[in-house]
Formats: sequence, structure tokens, C-alpha cells
Amino acid sequence: MNSHRRKLLQAIGGTGVVAAASPYLSFPAFAQNTPIRVGVIAPKAGIAGTIGECGLRGTMFAVERINATGGIAGRKVELIVEEETNPKDSIERLRKLVLQDKVDCVQGIVSSGVSLAMGAVAEEMKALLIFWDGTTQDGVKETMASPRYVFRSTDNECEAVMASLLAIKYWKGKFKTIAGINPDYSYGRNNFAAFQALLKKFGVEHKVVADQWPKVGTTDLNSHVAALKAAKPDLVFSSLLFADLPIFMRTAHGAGLMDGGTKFVFPAAGFQHTALKKSFTPEGMIFGHNTLYFDHKDASPLQKDFVKMYVDKYKDYPHWEADRAYFAMQVFKAGVEAAQKAKNAWPGKEDIISAMEGVKVQSLGGPGHMRKDHIAEQTFYQGLTTHKNGYDFPTLGTVDTMYSDRIQKPPGGDFWKWIETAQIKL
Amino acid sequence: MTSFFDIVLGGVFHAAVLFLVAAGLQLVFGVQKIVNLACGSFYALGAYFGISAVNWAIAAGVPPALFLPVLVLSGILLGAIGPFIEALLLTVYKRDEAFQLLLTFALVLMFQDVLRYFWGANPQQLGDIATQYGKIVVGTLQVPTYNVLVILASIAIALGIGAFLQKTNFGRILRATAENREMALALGVNVRVMYASVFTLGTMLGTVGGALVVPTAAASLDMPVELVVEAFAVVVIGGLGSMRGALVGALIVGLMRAAAISWYAELEMLAIYLVVIVVLVFRPAGLFGKAVE
Amino acid sequence: MRTAVGVLVLASLAALFALPSVLSAYYITLVLPAVAYAIALLGFNLLFGYTGLLSFGHALYVAVGAYGAAVLSSKLGIKSFELVLLLSGAAAVAAAIPVALLSVRYEKIFFGILTLAFGMLFHSFLFKFYDITGGDTGIRVLRPSLFGNEFKDLDKTAFLVGPFYYYCVGLLAVLGFVMWRIVHSPFGLHLVASRENRRKSEYLGVRVRFFRLIAFSISAFYCAVGGAILAINTGQADPELAYWTHSGELVFMAVLGGFANFFGPLVGAFTFIFLKSELMGITQFWRFWLGLTLIVIVVLFPRGLVGLGQDLWTRLHRQ
Repeated sequence: MNSHRRKLLQAIGGTGVVAAASPYLSFPAFAQNTPIRVGVIAPKAGIAGTIGECGLRGTMFAVERINATGGIAGRKVELIVEEETNPKDSIERLRKLVLQDKVDCVQGIVSSGVSLAMGAVAEEMKALLIFWDGTTQDGVKETMASPRYVFRSTDNECEAVMASLLAIKYWKGKFKTIAGINPDYSYGRNNFAAFQALLKKFGVEHKVVADQWPKVGTTDLNSHVAALKAAKPDLVFSSLLFADLPIFMRTAHGAGLMDGGTKFVFPAAGFQHTALKKSFTPEGMIFGHNTLYFDHKDASPLQKDFVKMYVDKYKDYPHWEADRAYFAMQVFKAGVEAAQKAKNAWPGKEDIISAMEGVKVQSLGGPGHMRKDHIAEQTFYQGLTTHKNGYDFPTLGTVDTMYSDRIQKPPGGDFWKWIETAQIKL
Repeated sequence: MTSFFDIVLGGVFHAAVLFLVAAGLQLVFGVQKIVNLACGSFYALGAYFGISAVNWAIAAGVPPALFLPVLVLSGILLGAIGPFIEALLLTVYKRDEAFQLLLTFALVLMFQDVLRYFWGANPQQLGDIATQYGKIVVGTLQVPTYNVLVILASIAIALGIGAFLQKTNFGRILRATAENREMALALGVNVRVMYASVFTLGTMLGTVGGALVVPTAAASLDMPVELVVEAFAVVVIGGLGSMRGALVGALIVGLMRAAAISWYAELEMLAIYLVVIVVLVFRPAGLFGKAVE
Repeated sequence: MRTAVGVLVLASLAALFALPSVLSAYYITLVLPAVAYAIALLGFNLLFGYTGLLSFGHALYVAVGAYGAAVLSSKLGIKSFELVLLLSGAAAVAAAIPVALLSVRYEKIFFGILTLAFGMLFHSFLFKFYDITGGDTGIRVLRPSLFGNEFKDLDKTAFLVGPFYYYCVGLLAVLGFVMWRIVHSPFGLHLVASRENRRKSEYLGVRVRFFRLIAFSISAFYCAVGGAILAINTGQADPELAYWTHSGELVFMAVLGGFANFFGPLVGAFTFIFLKSELMGITQFWRFWLGLTLIVIVVLFPRGLVGLGQDLWTRLHRQ
């Protein structure tokens, strides 16, 4: 199956035969007529498998488009896909891609556990690595202040900051008691802490009446919901991911947790937007679609093409990981092409990296750029949900859009200090 | 009071789920003395297959009230894989436990990819089937009807197995074989058929359990390895090979978990292993197990 | 026969030392975990092959070694790899003693389940006690110094496939030799005797439980050494290392190579690492094929690859 897929990918990547016919004119002929090799490491099994799948589709879409329009600076792209599992094995995969397959760039990685370990390894190996997601933060403390070879996605807390700001904007004064149910790892902990820090900053009086930390992948949340219900919160903040969030909402609905007009804030709900059915979710939840909102009325033609392709081909609606993966590929492409132009010869790795710093690209979900400190800035979409649509799941009734420079700490800063001192607009 | 009831109910529901996973494990260990690490895989297989079955039923226009029987039926049908896997285990009955354990470990690995091949990496869910069954509301208390059905089904299965083992002729022969295999052989029991049937029944308990519970949860590729650990805790507390032990063990684990979640969330899983270790220190054979050395 | 084994061992060691000049850096970074697992399995097999106790929770001690290396290097700033090995090993022995005290009262499947429960207890601890253990992401492991030399001029890959690799192969040779002495000592013979017939050896005055406790502790030490090497290779210690499926992989390797033979688990470790890595490169359904391989081994070649090799050897000789 996979060897089949690989052949397919190589076919997409194409070799000399196909390349000869394609528009090579805009670029001078290079000594390297071989394809550019890009390694992708993404989860295929386990709880994060769904994310890896969607991201991979974003990458394939990007590569098909790139190869159909002459490749990256005239060279076609060939993908080599490896599986992200635990840190130990994933780093072996990275070594294989870099040392054995000699890829020009590695992209991918979803889990922060893997990215934290892999960032350091890639940096030491001098391997160009662009993360889709994940982080190199230990908690919210950056472990790689100024990496040379590793490019990272937006900080994980962006969506939490945005959701918190929206909660304050829409509901300030309408809630007193809050409860959290968040995944038991640094992502969940930071998200809930960020929410509380922002409530404090904006002088919203509140009391935490319950906080639950179910393990990621827990399929029975009845006891957690019972504990939350006992605490009678006005507002529930949850950054549960994967199938956990739909299970939580279904269980909460069954137990009557949402009967008293309880408010819900879901910064990361977009991963499973299609699984949160209308029948067990209330309207007016704060719902994070991160960097890609598939149903955006004012979406770019690029996004509309992608969503249409996705629906036709995979019978599903894409979420943000496709955008992250597409963004990573575009940043690499833009870097290579800028470096090539400046040098008027095929650029080396160091030239490409320097050109990637500060580069602006158009991603699926909207504009983005790569900061000089190798952290991405992208466009985020969240809003209040509505049931007035043609799907069996909620979409956004009001769409709030924020560029991440508003919700992400600036280079080098401390996250908590930034929340305290920054001029953050609601 | 309401919240206390909610917490207890949450615990009992989890116990019902665990019992369904652990029952198959116990039955097979009781008779064949094989610890089946793949019991969680059967459960997951039941869950995935149940989702497909309900989706077919929806496409075929079956009314929602019949989804529950459809799920149970799909689980029973899946039990058909039992004899084939038992035939594989047949090769290691007389070998060291290490081989038996490893063979079922190999099945865990293989099933994970089989599930992925057929259903993909995405966790699968059954939309709002469970929600359609409505709620039971008594005053301020409210319970999803489907959860109550799962608990009742679990109790029915427990009673059914109990009656089957105690009251039927086959059950008596089965217990006798578990007690003394050589003697049973000498008395003309067809142990081959006995083992195959027991293993199939054990498989079915898992697949039916998975199919029954999936509307309230989700089917994911990590489920088998996660569940088997909890099932192990259940059988160690209850005593390996004892059905009554599985029931009591499941209740202890389910209620402990609910209590930990409500009062000290950090202890959620840790509490369970602590109980396991305490039981093993003071009552090594588990609450209902036979003495071991 | 004995000399043949000796020649084979020396030849394999020489081959391991010569590998970096033949193989690409990538394959050397694969040999490194194989060496780490080989060391861990030397210990594991003292308990499994020689004592007859199957632990399904020995990943716990691999994790203790890995977290030991992590805490010592990134929290306490200890660089010396020798010190890291000793302290992590000691920590593993300290963790092993209470577990062993409880578990060696049992044999067979009960021993397996009990060790599994302890392994998972440790996994939950690593996972849940976020402030101490870093939760799911674990703790970074920094590059150690070897005999006081930091090799600052080498990048990470060069360090791993260069000095660190030779160091670990050396370690494998030394620890392998020590284990060879252990299993051929009166202590080792007692373990085997109590495996064969516990009652009888008790009558003969073998303090079965005490000896098993010692064997358990030694095996934990070896696993921790393996874990420390693994963690340095990865640069991170994470809770998955203690998960029960990782324990299952240890058993897998031992059986793949053949646990009845001293060298079997070593062969198993190398075969497993390469098999897994190649399968992962070929197909996304590598777990299926890995499982199938295991079934074939268990059903058809219960004596593992070494057993298979021995059979072929005798058959050739007969002809």
C-alpha cells in the first residue's frame, strides 16, 4: 500500500522525462536536474493519525501544484514520507531522511513531545527542518532561542490567547465560575493557564471551580463530566483534541451539563469540527479553527480550490493541519527561489535558510510569514458557532480573524510577562 | 446528592465497559490458561465494525430504535474470527507462557494495522446515535438512556455467563476441564471443541462489548493497548480466571477512578495501579482467585 | 564448539568496531540503539532465559536509565557518562528491589502481570507528575563527556557515530563478558537449577527467592545502562519508554534471537532494530509485518534465529 503510494509520489515528483516538457523557461538550466527531495514525518496511526493524514494531504496538494507549474526554481519536488511515532523512533526516521535519503528539507511533526526532542537533534545535525505544528518550548519556555536550521510553527498558545480574548469580548460580566477540562500534557496545561492569566489581565473576576486533566485518548469521560457538573460552572474552557472533544460534548449533553446556558470555549476544536454534531452541541460556543476555516465566505480562491478538491477527493472537510503543511512547503519554496534569484545559481542550504528568514507567503488559510527567529506568524480564525448551515455540525456564525502577531509573544520574550505587560487589544 | 449520584453512575458505567473487556480475558484464562493481550484488540475491532454496521443500517433505512440490536448482532458475527485465532494459539498450548503471551502480543501489533487498513487513522465515531436514545430524567437527576442500556447489558451478560457456567451441562464440563484437563480428556470430553468454543465466546464478549459501547465513545487505534492495561488491573484485583472477580474488580476500578477524578484528578490512573499493588501484597491471588505460588 | 563460539564473538566484536568505516552514518545511528538494546537484553535474559521469569515490565528500568541520564545531565549538570551510567544503574537497582521483593514470590504469568503493573505504575507517574517529569514531553538529555573528554569539536552525529559508538561497543563487550561470568558462576547455575525445579533446588539449599532478587536487580542495572545509551542517542527521555508495549518489544527481541542461548538476545536486538527500521521504510503497515514475523518465529522457530542457525550448522556437519 505504502510502496504503492511512494511510487505515486515519485510519479507526482516526476523525473527528467516529465520535467523536459514543463515550462523551464523562467529559470536558467541548472546542473541539478534531479528533483528536490523533501522528507515528511507525520503521524499515521494512533490518536494523532487524523492530523497527520490531513497535513499530508495539504503537502500533496502543495506539491502537485508546485510540480504542475514548473517546480521549485525549476526543479520538481519528490516526497519521501516517514511515520512520526514516539520521539525515539521519529528521530531515527529523521536521521534516515537526512543521512540516508539525503533530503534537502524535512517537514512535518505534530506532537510537541517529538518536536521538542527533534528540534535539538536537527539543529545539531544541521538539517533543515520545518515544523507543521508542535513546539520547541518546554512548557512556555523556549528551549531554542535562535536556531539556525529549525523553523517552527506559531506557538501553541496562540489559539488559547485568541479564544480567551473572544470570551472576554463577548461574555465579560456574564460568567463568574469557570471550569477547565484539558488534555493532560503541556499543551492543555498552558492553554488553561493562559486563559486564567488573560482573565486576570482584563480584570474579569472569576473562580475556578473544577479542573480536569484526562489523558489524551480517553474514550470514557462520564466521571469527568460528573465532576464538572457537580461544580456548576458558568463557563467551561477546554482544549481537548482528537476524538476526546466530541466524546466530552456528547457525554456533557447526556448529563445535562449544558442545560443552564453554560458557556463553552474551545480553542482547538477545529481538529474535529465535523465530529461535533449539532444534536449534542449548543449554539454560540467559542470555537477555534486555528489557521484554516474551511467554510469562510471570503476565503481566497486558493483555499476554495483546496476545499473543493478535499471534499471531492476525500469526502471530508479539511482542518488546519493541511494549512500548516502547505505553509511549510511554501516557506521552503519561497526561500529556495529567493536565494536562487539573489545568487543566480543554485543556492546552498545556508543561503536558503537565510532567504527563508522573514519570507512572506500566501498559505491556504491566509497570509503568513516566517519570523527572523524562525517562528511562523499566520492568520487565525475563531468565532461563535451557529447551527444555521447545510451541515450536520456547527460552523462559525461570526468569524473573528486575527493575525498572530497580536496573539503571539514577540521574539525572545517570556510568555507570562508578555501577557501581563503587552498592549493586547480585545 | 445529585452530584454524588452522577459520580457513582460515571464509575459504574466505566465498570460496565471494563467488565466487558475483562470477561473475555477471564474466560479464556480460566479454561486455557492463556493470558490474551489481544482482548483489547477484539474490543476495538467490535467498536469499529459496529460503526460500519450502524452506517450500513442507516443506509438501508433501519429505524434508530433497532441500532442497538444491530450493534449486538455485529459483535456476535465478528466472533467468527475466534476459531481461526484459536487455531493459531493451538500451536503454543503446550509451550512456555512466554510464547503464549508473545503470540497474543503479535496479534495486538497486527490488529492495529488491520484496523488502520480498513478504517483509517481517524478515530471513528457514531455521530449522535446515543443522543437519539434520549435521557432518563428524575427530578434534577438525568442519565442518558443509552448509558443505562450499556450498564444493563453488562449486567445481563454477567448473569448470562454465570447461569451458563453454573446451570448448563456445557458450563459444567467447561468448569471441569478448567479444573483438570487430563481428567476431562480421560472422561471423553472433546477438549479441542471445548477450547475453540470457549475462545470464540471470549472473543465475542470483547467484540459485542466494543460494539455496544462505541456510540458513547469512539473507536481509535490506541484503544486496544490502553484498554488491555485497565483490563489487567481488573483481573489482577479480582483474581485471574474468576468471573466474579472480573465483576468485582471492574466495579472497584471504575469507582476508584470516578472517585479519584472527582477529588484528586492527578491520581486518576495511579490510584488504580496502587489498588492493584495493595491487593497483590495482601491477597496475591486477587479477591476471588485461587491461591498461587 | 567452544573455540568456535569464541572466534565468532571476537569476529563480531571486530566487525562492530570496523563498521563505522564501512557503513554510512545513518546505519551507525541504527547500530547504536541495537547496541543499547543488546546490553539491556543481556540483563533481561538473565531473568528470562536463565531464571525462567518472564517480565512484561522491564521497560521500566530502561526508562529509569533514560530519565536518570536526563535528570543528571540537564537538571544536575553532570556530564561524565561513567557517573551517569553508575547513578542511573544504581537508581534502577533501587527501583528494582521493592518490585522484585513482591514479584519473585510468584512465577509464570503472575510474575509477568505483576511486573507489567509496576511498569505501568511508573508510566503513569512519569505521565501525570508533570512538574517533576515533564509529563508527555519528558526531559532533555544532554551530550555527556566520555572519560572526561567532551569532544566539543564534533557535531552531534559525528559524536554519536564516532567516540560514543566505540564507547558503547566497548561497554557491550565488557558487560557481555561480565554477564558471561555471571551465568557460568555457581550463582548462575543456581538460577538455572531453580528454573528447572524450584522445589528440588530449595531442598538442596538454594535460596531461590533471594537469588531471584539478585538476578532481578542485575537485570535492572543492565536495562538502565541500555536506557541511558538510548536516551543520549535520542536526546530525550519520554514516558513512552516505560509503556508496556516497549516491554513487549524487549521480549520480542529476546525470543526473535532465541532466549535459550546466551547470544540469542543480542542477535535478536540487532535483527529487530534493522527489521523494524527497514519495514518502516517500506510500508506504513509495518506493525502488521512485525507481528507476522513474531508469529512465524513463535510458531515455527521457537528457538529463535540462533536456534535456527544451530540446526543448520548441525545439519551441515552431518552431511
